[in-house]
Amino acid sequence: MAGLPLLLPRGAGRALVAGRALLAALRPCPRRGCGEAAALRAMGFSQEQARRLQGLQPRLGPERREAVAAQLLLLGLSAEAALALLEQSPELLRLPTEQLRERAEELRRLGLDGGRLERALSRCPQLFAVPRKRLAAAVRLLRERCLFTAEQLREVLGTCPAVLLEEPCSLHHHFQYAYFRMGVRQKEMVKARLFQMPFAELRNRHIFLERRGLYETPHKGQIQTNNPKLKDILQLSEKDFLASLACSTLEEYEVFKKLLAREEAEEGKEEEVDALYADEDDELYSERSKTAPE
Amino acid sequence: MAALLGGAAAALLRRGPGPGLGAGAVLGAGQRRHRHKEKWATTAPRIPSTRLALHHFDTSYSLHLGELWPSVRAGLLCEQKYGALLNNFSAVDHVTQELELLNATDFVSEALQKAQQSQRGAAAREAVRGSQEGCVQGRTVIQAETMTQAETSPPFRASISPKIKCYTFPRGDITRFCPARPDILGLLGYYLMDAASVLPVLALDVQQDDLVLDLCAAPGGKTLALLQTGLCVSGGHLAANDVSISRTKRLHQILHKYVPREVREAVSVTSYDGRDWQDVDGGTFHKVLVDVPCTTDRHSAMEEDNNIFHKRRTKERQMLPMLQLQLLMAGILAAKPGGDVVYSTCSLSPLQNECVVERAVEIAETQFNVSVHVEDLSHLRTLFQDTFSFFSDCRLGELVLPHLTANFGPMYFCKLRRM
Repeated sequence: MAGLPLLLPRGAGRALVAGRALLAALRPCPRRGCGEAAALRAMGFSQEQARRLQGLQPRLGPERREAVAAQLLLLGLSAEAALALLEQSPELLRLPTEQLRERAEELRRLGLDGGRLERALSRCPQLFAVPRKRLAAAVRLLRERCLFTAEQLREVLGTCPAVLLEEPCSLHHHFQYAYFRMGVRQKEMVKARLFQMPFAELRNRHIFLERRGLYETPHKGQIQTNNPKLKDILQLSEKDFLASLACSTLEEYEVFKKLLAREEAEEGKEEEVDALYADEDDELYSERSKTAPE
Repeated sequence: MAALLGGAAAALLRRGPGPGLGAGAVLGAGQRRHRHKEKWATTAPRIPSTRLALHHFDTSYSLHLGELWPSVRAGLLCEQKYGALLNNFSAVDHVTQELELLNATDFVSEALQKAQQSQRGAAAREAVRGSQEGCVQGRTVIQAETMTQAETSPPFRASISPKIKCYTFPRGDITRFCPARPDILGLLGYYLMDAASVLPVLALDVQQDDLVLDLCAAPGGKTLALLQTGLCVSGGHLAANDVSISRTKRLHQILHKYVPREVREAVSVTSYDGRDWQDVDGGTFHKVLVDVPCTTDRHSAMEEDNNIFHKRRTKERQMLPMLQLQLLMAGILAAKPGGDVVYSTCSLSPLQNECVVERAVEIAETQFNVSVHVEDLSHLRTLFQDTFSFFSDCRLGELVLPHLTANFGPMYFCKLRRM
């Protein structure tokens, strides 16, 4: 077999070369007694990488391992990235390659292309495994209910791919909190990478600021506010957030978080009781209306 | 808006103390049990009183407290911390054991112990220094002198009643006390109250056999604390008065639940308008507590019910400083010469605090020829600075500030001595 360059060129040509290598690797080669390692090497993995790969899910047949590895390479991941992904989530080796391909296609269609796709997959390998319906629901929510533009959606997915893993209900709640409680609009949400921070932490920081008098929910129609930027609230470390935004001590914030958690827990219980008394026509929420936000 | 808006969004808004949005009435971050039940009310308040109160506080207190205001504000809007006033008339040992197992401590005795220890430490250091100078005889004399000095210099030690015990959880600990249970005699073991409310009573420094007047006694927490000093056990007497008959009922209930009959008999509960007191018994009391009605800042920021910042109570609220002044005057005139008066409020407002005291001192002098001296309470502030967050810049009196790590107060108190 002709020796293949170990460093594969990037771009379309690479997929082609990798494809050829895959086909070549799968042909039986009695003279050399091709082991799995050789096949992997042919695909473009180094000796060391091949060894690591073979160590994953050893009970699995080599064909599976090779097929999945090849597929990941075909999707545009580098050898190291593919390996890292599999080491992180070896269960991916059990997925049919068709599923991997389809999912990657879908993600690409949503705007996760090139480097973004690779980053997204590396950060959230569960993206391969999450049910299609859930994926679609999250996207539908972001486009139709939260009214992000296609471009904004692409940006959100690129920076916070984990939104696709979220329960649509909690994703919606997260969005509505920022929209109504904090008075933030989609453009700022995207820029600030709203969904990167867990909701509970956002709520802690926001309400801490609010109770200190440093954040005010804007009135209807109010455009200008003195509120700190969402970007700063989300992206500062806790230490810097306390020092420069909240102007407070860690001790105070720790007690506050405990008190707020207790309030939340008791609120939840109270709402359960209220729900028992709720009327049917109390339902303000309509699944069907699609009016634009103000 | 409908696509984005729904039950969930309305619920989000309901929780926040933001101003009203188109989504419906937005309510103050109230105590859950008193929160306005949106589904059941026939009319929703347009701008909640709690919101009005907060706005008022933001304007005045940010000026008065400066950089401290954001922390105080957050304290007001979060759950307050309670203290458990021990009931000496019940079976206390069992109760103290229970409380200590929970990691609560009596802040009064704890502070006194710590002060004693640092006193002894300082005295010992002084003694060592003293003994290093001069001859053997001189050494002894100097040693003795410095020891006495150390023991007597702070006037507070002798005057803090060790009988008043109030348990609190440590700084930063948000554990709640369980409701007190009756003992075999049917008396409750402790009374849950804002621990800062104990401070005006400590400042009053009641001695045995004192004749004490509690001019605005209801609902009765401070009255109960006064009784803990044991003043009524032998010869003393407590007059507990409150203008509100309904609130006086609560006072009676508390006395029944906490105090044995023979002690209760030494308490006379009356329902006069406190301003009229001087006509009833002038100049008879050794100690007078004037815990006046005020804007009850914490309540006003959190509870919609009975809120003094409601539009229909504006006149009443604006007349408060006048009412407070009149009550304090009555209290001063009810005191014997040499007697003490403690004025207290649960507001942060200087207009209800220092200004009232200053005006009262002036009027006592000019209109009644009564000389009143404002007593220094800084020793109390120093003594309890680990338990409470005190404001260091009061012109007169002391002010406990709400703070998340020690969420007691607001409590203002000032001590006057009638000369």
